[in-house]
Amino acid sequence: MRHGLILWREQELSLADVKARQVRLQQAIAAAGLDGVLIYTNHVRSAGVTWISGFTPYWSDGLVLVLREGQPIFLTALSKRVGEWVKSVAPTFEVAHSPLPGKLAGERLAKVGATRLGVVELDRMPGGVVDEILSVLPVELSDASELFTAVRGQPDRAELDLARRTDNIAREAFKAGDIKGKYAGDFTGAVERAVRLAGAEECYVAVAPDLSKDRRFIRAGKQELGRTFAVRLSIAYNGVWARRIETFSAVSKIAARLASVSAELDRASPAFPANGSISDFSLPDGAELIDWHLEAPHGTRPLKVVADAETPLAAPVPYGVLTVTLVLDGETIVASRPVGLGDSSVREAAE
Amino acid sequence: MVGEIRKKRLIEAMLEAGLDGLVLYGNAWQNDYLRYAADFGILEGEGLAVVTRDGNVTLYLDDELEGERAAVECPEVRTVVADDLIGAVSGVIARLGNSRIAAGPKRHLPYGLAAQRGDLRFEDATALVDRLLMVKSADELNAVRSAARLADEGYAVFRGAAAVGKKDFELIAEIESFFRNEGVDDNFMIIGVGGPEVRGMAPPLGKILKPGDLVTTELTPCVNGYYVQICRTLVIGEPNEAQRKVFGIYDDALEAGLAVVKPGVTAADIARAENDIFRAHGLGEYVTSEYTRVRGHGLGLFPDTKPHILEDVNTVIEEGMSMIVHPNTYNPEIGYFVHGDSLIVRADGPEILTRTPRELFSVGARRATA
Repeated sequence: MRHGLILWREQELSLADVKARQVRLQQAIAAAGLDGVLIYTNHVRSAGVTWISGFTPYWSDGLVLVLREGQPIFLTALSKRVGEWVKSVAPTFEVAHSPLPGKLAGERLAKVGATRLGVVELDRMPGGVVDEILSVLPVELSDASELFTAVRGQPDRAELDLARRTDNIAREAFKAGDIKGKYAGDFTGAVERAVRLAGAEECYVAVAPDLSKDRRFIRAGKQELGRTFAVRLSIAYNGVWARRIETFSAVSKIAARLASVSAELDRASPAFPANGSISDFSLPDGAELIDWHLEAPHGTRPLKVVADAETPLAAPVPYGVLTVTLVLDGETIVASRPVGLGDSSVREAAE
Repeated sequence: MVGEIRKKRLIEAMLEAGLDGLVLYGNAWQNDYLRYAADFGILEGEGLAVVTRDGNVTLYLDDELEGERAAVECPEVRTVVADDLIGAVSGVIARLGNSRIAAGPKRHLPYGLAAQRGDLRFEDATALVDRLLMVKSADELNAVRSAARLADEGYAVFRGAAAVGKKDFELIAEIESFFRNEGVDDNFMIIGVGGPEVRGMAPPLGKILKPGDLVTTELTPCVNGYYVQICRTLVIGEPNEAQRKVFGIYDDALEAGLAVVKPGVTAADIARAENDIFRAHGLGEYVTSEYTRVRGHGLGLFPDTKPHILEDVNTVIEEGMSMIVHPNTYNPEIGYFVHGDSLIVRADGPEILTRTPRELFSVGARRATA
């Protein structure tokens, strides 16, 4: 489940911002000759519904039905008491309750005489939900993932600003970590606390405790830290996810070099395009690139690897998180930064 | 170790049911089926475990970062990362031909997997796995006991952090930070702050704690996959007379529910014992679904598992189950109130796991946040 603050913050993501997204999707629905699009959500596959409504479920799951016209409908098995909370944090859709949300979707579709329904990630839709829909209405189902991805891939200002804000929370929170701690938890506990006190709705922390031995990230807080270690913060704030990886060392000479690399990446990254290429990315002088990948919101996934050295980017993304692994002066450095955020974030990072 | 024991039980159950294979779905919220077979605490993306009758378990994940973590955290399980999760698992299932394959949880099984199986269909593994999840082995129960210690310690941190002027999400930040340091993978937690206007618990809303507020919470830390819950209510400042009186009713209801717990009774018997206390005080309206969801529930690899403690649930309680009894509901005088303890069902009755005193806790009204 989620563990942090979820609020409707009109000044950060306005009703007008969300309405504009809904209109764009409704136009695409009409152009495709569909009667509506259904998007599934749980807190792991939240990104589709979050984008179209600003809502993220804290636990359990639900569906959003977007018809050609009118307000989207959030269909959920959550109780009406929880529904009051849902309405308070997402005034962007109608909330409808049923122990069988798929059946309710079928009934709403029948009401408008629907015959063709697009489903985002149809293959992944819980089979029980599909059975419930078809038990009410023999509607023709098709996969609407490409349609949704095309609409979703267009960035808007609100989302880019939130991505930058989320990354800033991560950057600030890292300052709370004790690099001289013996165990991973000594560092990560304080960092997670700082993230949550900043009002983030979620925070996952993973650690590569000794980069000289293994670059893989795990969640164990009791692992002893090596000479250099990396910490991955995955943060959600107001529905937008960022990941930030920093490499640290308790050895002051190495720490100073790592801090300098981190600052260089902060300057270069935000304006770098999220286009699945790394050839123009500015690496620190003398650094050898070992590995990279680009993550981005995709379908119902908040962040997913969409490109790497072997796989080109298949469709435009609104913004991205670029992870690079470098070797510099014999030290392995892993770093993640947001990319594709535009010029203003360059100035902010430099400041 | 406990993962191996679960796998053995699962294979035995499969063989007894005459199944050749099992496909179990999981994500970070609904992870009990997947974890039972593969012992992986998935966080991002989705996973499917394919179990064959010869004892092989393969974990399919759609997230590269999670695949990397699984390789380190559960090296004994073969992990495959596949962006096309459905295609990858469908291919494996197709190679098993028309053997008997069951899948679960039935409602969450991805549509594409069932569609590609076509007329061969999956049998429903829900009942088979639910039974294993409910009635636990001795080693699983020991894992549950370990989680209980952290539920108590977590509530002590919660009480210590509650102060006038503090925001609800700041309290949660303290708890989550404490739990991560202690190796707690996850924590189901909702909260309520206020008075009679509060009709339930919810995620944090940014509410500021003030004198006279009731602060309700369910804390449900997860240790090595097993969840244990504690429900308590505290008052900011000295409890008033109404708050003390109402606490007595909920405490009696909790005692009444716990007194019934033993092998052979039903979930309905426990719920009825709790609800009768409310009815005796003229509060019967407040034990209906209008005001409350359940009067307790199972605990294990999921924080809210079967059996649900309700007057219309006739699941027979068995030795080896772990659950919470909590007569949580709205009270018109003072607002939503929670009070509950986790337990293991033993032959002679309940073994109460959580040891935090059953008190209406009070936090000094003048204790202001720093």
